[in-house]
Amino acid sequence: MNGKNQAGAAAPTPASPRQPVRPRTSDAGPPPRVSAWRRRRLAGWLFLAPAIAYLLFAFLLPIIYNLMLSFERTSPATIAKFAAPFAGLANYRYIFHDPTTQMAIIHTFEFTFGSLFFQFIIGFALALLFGTEFPGSTLGRSLVIVPWLLPLFVTGVMFKFLFQAEGGAVNQILMAIGLAHGPIDWLNSPHLALWTVLIANIWLGVPFFTVLLYSAIQDVPTEVTEAARIDGAGPWQRLVLIIVPIILPVIEIVLLLGFVFTVKVFDLVIGLTGGGPANSSQLITTWSYNLSFQQFNFGQGAALNNVLLVLALICSPIYLWLSRDSLRGSSGAGR
Amino acid sequence: MTRRQQRRVGRWLRALVAAAALVVVLFPVYAILVGSFESTETLFSGTFYWLPHAATLENYVTVIRAQSGNVVTSLFVALGTALLALVVAVPAAYALSKYRLRVTIVIVSSLLIAQIVPSIVLATSLFIIFHWIHLVNTFVGLVLADGTYAIPFAILVLRAFFFSLPNELMDAARVDGASEWTTFRRIVIPLARSAVITVAVFAFLNGWGDFIFALTILNGAGIVPITLGIYTYLGNYSTDWGAVMAASAFALVPAGVMLVVAQRYIASGLTAGSVKG
Repeated sequence: MNGKNQAGAAAPTPASPRQPVRPRTSDAGPPPRVSAWRRRRLAGWLFLAPAIAYLLFAFLLPIIYNLMLSFERTSPATIAKFAAPFAGLANYRYIFHDPTTQMAIIHTFEFTFGSLFFQFIIGFALALLFGTEFPGSTLGRSLVIVPWLLPLFVTGVMFKFLFQAEGGAVNQILMAIGLAHGPIDWLNSPHLALWTVLIANIWLGVPFFTVLLYSAIQDVPTEVTEAARIDGAGPWQRLVLIIVPIILPVIEIVLLLGFVFTVKVFDLVIGLTGGGPANSSQLITTWSYNLSFQQFNFGQGAALNNVLLVLALICSPIYLWLSRDSLRGSSGAGR
Repeated sequence: MTRRQQRRVGRWLRALVAAAALVVVLFPVYAILVGSFESTETLFSGTFYWLPHAATLENYVTVIRAQSGNVVTSLFVALGTALLALVVAVPAAYALSKYRLRVTIVIVSSLLIAQIVPSIVLATSLFIIFHWIHLVNTFVGLVLADGTYAIPFAILVLRAFFFSLPNELMDAARVDGASEWTTFRRIVIPLARSAVITVAVFAFLNGWGDFIFALTILNGAGIVPITLGIYTYLGNYSTDWGAVMAASAFALVPAGVMLVVAQRYIASGLTAGSVKG
């Protein structure tokens, strides 16, 4: 019981929660204070109940079940059953010795850090550009978010069209400006497929960085940058010594979210390369799908899922810490 | 050059750079549209034409014949996801911002972490869980799974918004004898309209664009959203690019509509969701 509810024991039976307690006009009857407070707390719980139920059902249950699966010897026949025979660490042993899995893990790191690096640089440059005044800047700012809104799978398919060896716009542009002498087989070459996925992912991720960094830069007080300008700081100095330190919290959170979003990428790869050729563009996500849903080794897929989950959740303490204002807001608000 | 001329040249130079960037941003979408109007012969000619070469509507005819049911399915999935997100998220966000419940910090932390969990982890387990409870290949199952994109985001965005509502409004309603539910329905929801629309728009786009849950939880027969419809076109050895591009053009429509109609809500959602969340 909450300390504020000390009077609870002395108070008579509280009104049924279904019957709204009317404000009392006389001092006849018990004081409404306690029952009203309890009623409010109950209402709060009822408002929250669907969300709690959903979180338990759609997040906690699958995560726990995934953990269980990773220790089971599964087969297509066990899918219909609640549990399969215990397998110990066999699934984990398998995935850590399987060359394709190792490759998928390495690809995931290359893909994630490659994407973040270019997305951040390009996104920051565009944020600075759109932060200045020029003809058409408002229209440009609203159009730059287009890649963000498209279904990821469709983006993958779109780039597959652009990167075709014959009749693909990319090769045609490269040959027209003399950067390629013949058609490059982007999607069927094991050396290039992952690059293709990387390029597509950079394209779709830049707007996220641009939008968030742009709004952070807009929040930098102009007096500060003006003062620096008067003191003789050039544009580069103003950027590195004034703007970046001020927006550093946003940079941190944007990079962190960028990391967790990129580690999860799935639809794009399936639409673009399907993980091929010869598994050369498999990421953890796509290879896990392949293990579970194409080879029906759900146990191995689940084990790989846990590797991915650890990778993503490593960030969660940092994320919670960076979001501490939002968490703290919970105790400061209300009454 | 005078200072002023320099500044003017600078402005136009920046406009030029921005225009170049926008060409890169918009070209892939443009290419889909061009491709969707090309004949099969043109698409297999080995040349990409910058403008439709002998434009035809045959791809759209093919796609409307084969995929219009799937477009309707996607529409229902998107609406279902938006509805589920609102039903779960609006009251929860209200409780998490205006009621001092002890679980608040636990729930908010869980929501932040839930946003991080990769969909493939959920999809693998949900597929088997749905097997037991007979939700595989059902509309309800798909919408429940699609809610995993939308609900944590929706609660966090709405909660940030509810903080901005003064407590006095709710107190005044209570003093007038309104129940908690009436206060929520008559006072809080109308005031939160813009945030609710923002959240609904994003949930709609999430449901519309979902691919991974459609791929895992549906079996490709019966309920087929448009993304899955496009995927089946790719499965063959020779891709019918005309049909793929026309179907993709359909899949891009909601994003385009939202960009024009709900621009304001999209802009606020994009920034609110990630930083203030």
